[in-house]
Amino acid sequence: MINRKVGATAGALLLALGLAACGSSSSSSSSSTTASTSSSSASATVSGAGSTFAAPVYEQWASAQPGLTVNYQAVGSGAGITSLEAKTVDFGASDPPLKPADFATLEKVGPVVQVPMFLGAITVSYNLPGVKSGLKLTGKTIANIYLGKITTWNAPEIAELNPGVTLPSTPITVIHRSDSSGTTSGFTGFLAKVDPEFASKVGEGKDVQWPVGTGAKGNAGVAGAVQQTAGAVGYVEQAYALEHNFTYASVKNKAGNFVAPTLASATAAGATVVVPSNLGIKISNPSGAESYPLTSQTFVVVYKDMCKAGIPGGEAAAKGVVKFLEYGLGSGQSILSQADYATLPAAILAKSKAAVTALECNGSPLSG
Amino acid sequence: MEAASLPGGERSTLERSPLARLPDRALKYGLTLLAALILALIVYFFIRLVGEARPAFAKFGVFGFTFDKDWNVSAETFGALPLLIGTLITSALALLVGVPVAVATAIYITELCPGRVRAPVTALIELLAAVPSVVYGLWGIFFLAPKLQPAEQWLANRLSFIPFIGGGAVTIPNYFVAGLILAIMILPIVSAISREVMSTVPADHKEAALGLGATRWEMIRMAVLPYCRGGIIGGAMLGLGRALGETIAVAILIGDAPQLGKHLFGQGYSLAAVIANEFGEAQGLHRSALFAAGLVLFVLTLIVNAIARVVVVRAARTGAPNSPAQSAPPAIAGAAGV
Amino acid sequence: MSDDRFAQFTLSPGRRRRDRIARSAILAGTVIALIPLLLIVYYLLQKGLGSWSPSFFTTDPTGNTFFKHSSIGGIQSAILGTIEIVALASAISIPAGIGVAVWLVEYGRNSWFANAVRFFVDVLTGVPSIIFGLFIYIVLIVGTGSTYAGYKGSFALSLLMLPVVIRSAEVILLLVPGALRESALALGAPRWRVIFSIVLPTALPGMVTGVLLAIARAAGETAPLLFTAGATFKTSTNLGGFMNSLPVQIYNDVTSPTTSVVNRAWGAALTLVTMILVLNLIARLVAKRSRLA
Repeated sequence: MINRKVGATAGALLLALGLAACGSSSSSSSSSTTASTSSSSASATVSGAGSTFAAPVYEQWASAQPGLTVNYQAVGSGAGITSLEAKTVDFGASDPPLKPADFATLEKVGPVVQVPMFLGAITVSYNLPGVKSGLKLTGKTIANIYLGKITTWNAPEIAELNPGVTLPSTPITVIHRSDSSGTTSGFTGFLAKVDPEFASKVGEGKDVQWPVGTGAKGNAGVAGAVQQTAGAVGYVEQAYALEHNFTYASVKNKAGNFVAPTLASATAAGATVVVPSNLGIKISNPSGAESYPLTSQTFVVVYKDMCKAGIPGGEAAAKGVVKFLEYGLGSGQSILSQADYATLPAAILAKSKAAVTALECNGSPLSG
Repeated sequence: MEAASLPGGERSTLERSPLARLPDRALKYGLTLLAALILALIVYFFIRLVGEARPAFAKFGVFGFTFDKDWNVSAETFGALPLLIGTLITSALALLVGVPVAVATAIYITELCPGRVRAPVTALIELLAAVPSVVYGLWGIFFLAPKLQPAEQWLANRLSFIPFIGGGAVTIPNYFVAGLILAIMILPIVSAISREVMSTVPADHKEAALGLGATRWEMIRMAVLPYCRGGIIGGAMLGLGRALGETIAVAILIGDAPQLGKHLFGQGYSLAAVIANEFGEAQGLHRSALFAAGLVLFVLTLIVNAIARVVVVRAARTGAPNSPAQSAPPAIAGAAGV
Repeated sequence: MSDDRFAQFTLSPGRRRRDRIARSAILAGTVIALIPLLLIVYYLLQKGLGSWSPSFFTTDPTGNTFFKHSSIGGIQSAILGTIEIVALASAISIPAGIGVAVWLVEYGRNSWFANAVRFFVDVLTGVPSIIFGLFIYIVLIVGTGSTYAGYKGSFALSLLMLPVVIRSAEVILLLVPGALRESALALGAPRWRVIFSIVLPTALPGMVTGVLLAIARAAGETAPLLFTAGATFKTSTNLGGFMNSLPVQIYNDVTSPTTSVVNRAWGAALTLVTMILVLNLIARLVAKRSRLA
């Protein structure tokens, strides 16, 4: 009896190893095929990795692609760039624009292009029973809250911005992100720009040293923490704020207007940004009367000549990536509003489309 | 196959032909090779980690990195002390709470509980192992931590004269709740191993104690626990390993603030949690620092296990006369066998 | 019971009290252990049962996370993926782990080599689960320039399982009485026969426990799979390609802003717990049937 068991285990082990070694063919039902097949295959597979902020959008766009399987790993912008550099994926996704160091590393493999895809608003959400949405705050006030200088909701700085609103004396519970994130980067970037003290004490970054406050993991964590604690304030992406029916602040922009985070105000924020030649836009306290100051952007990063660079999916994947990006910059933009993300303003959208059209495979253009 | 070597005459084991000894040789060398391969794999694992961590150690020095109290990502200074303290506090709490409770359940199941209850209770304890770590983290942060907060606040106020417990701000995610959840997570494994060990206590040990008039508890204390000491410690070490290395649940529950752990009910960080939180966005020196943090944990486990080994050996030596460590396969097997 | 009858005559009140206190403490400890379990199970049922439906188990998740009124799909690919990935990881780590444990107890014993193996295996138990994933990521993905694959996730999980299997099997094997071995050897049985026919069967029920714990751990771990197995929504039987899994699906879904997706995460969590339970039950039945009289 034992011998049979040993035999069975050994057999299972061998079988499993055989499976792994050969990577046997997939089942007859719908499944992903590795894209080493012919370039005209009906079902190509594209892989991407990076930003968690953009993940829901890319997954949504992926599900709208007949004949194309797009597998996206939401491992974070940093890991996405590293994966692209190691050529473990066909495209990368990053919220912050690429730094010169990133360009240098990637260009060892081949020239890269970063394509702005869409925008999102970061809300300053609060949990104050009795106080409706639209509490007016300036960047400096928010900075002082996050520096710990303003500790109760009825502090004079907040009160004088909001005449006519009865503010409770609840102490402010500051919530921030505990994990590295592009959302933190966008939030701190704005605060650092408008408040020199914040810039020197905390600075801008995906992961900063917060002087006060509790850390929560992910947008969902911050949203949960804000929901649980009366008097809490936290910065969350718009999608989370809207889903949980949060009350959020109207933030004063550079033009002096208090703007609420809406899709229109986020797109407006992008419209005034100067677009550098490498398309690395960074929206930080934008000008424009309608702009919402806490708007952030996200990019897809691809090699200019994907086949030459040697992406894992080969030519089929290169074509797939272009198809995916063209969809995203085309009909994909109209879906964004349903997910509470903002479309690119027309000028940037045109530049993104042009960048995608310029992508090549071994010298010949891919789109068209 | 071989005839038994008995007064009936046939060949004895020692006179077996070389060919007949082949399976024994094959087994011995095969298993030795396997053990060597595993050892080589682990060493290789260690070496790769060191390679990835080297830039961080080069910049801060090994001791500099481990004992510096400043983990600041944006300033690119990385000191692991707050993480180390966090790991130690939560794991110690997990052991302090988890091991006694686990041993209690093991004792209950093997010695005290009525026969019909035994299987259901065992199944329930093992159910704890079936819960994924991310669910523990989420249940902790959404259900347990908020419920515990008033009690923690009360304790912190009442006991404010005790330095570690009182005095600081009580946050919802904190060391205490992280340690508690870890205790729950290590329960099944410590309990299971303790249970297995306790169920092999020879009945005559127990009956001898009872026959001499010992109460149930005295019997457990005299006959069962000393016999099982080594095994229970082995189980506790596995539980400790789990607690030291638990990544996601702790990341959700500890508050993720690289502070120096002055308050039990305040936020902190741990070596494993920082890797989970920051790896996705980390590049260059930051990434290397995260691997270095993993290495620090490696070394910590090394030290803790070394201490545990000493304790086990001492327990075996001074333990009950027939404890398992002393009934290891005797020399005869070595002489007569391969 | 006999001890109680005699105890009446010889038992001092102090000893009786201590006995009673100790017994209550032990019972209390057991109850304390069970309370969080009941709370968690209740919480899981409350949040996850609502998502369960036949289509939940038979459809793949779609990428549809926005359209609150249209289908977000079920978790079929996650369930199958977990089964495949964990099966491969178990097929690797269980025989290897038991083999090493057998070697440690029967052959290596207290040699410096065996102690070195023990030492490093112990150290491995404390490694954060994410590091196993990162190790495989560095060696098999970045290092070889190839992409994510299900079997790479299995490798990471088997690294996680190995020390648990080895350590628990070793503890159990050490409990097999030397007398059993000696008698078998005295009867002329060769070493390998002693191991396979006497030692392993005796240790089997205990080892099954350790193995089940290792499998349960592996099935519920997210971190090792994040950077290795590659997330995808489609069902696949190809371990050489991207493969979904329940912990990763849960992890990704639970952080979504869309409520229905979060509910799917809880439904998936409930599914995972149930699957492991069922596995436990089956394995215990098998072990019981194979226990030597």
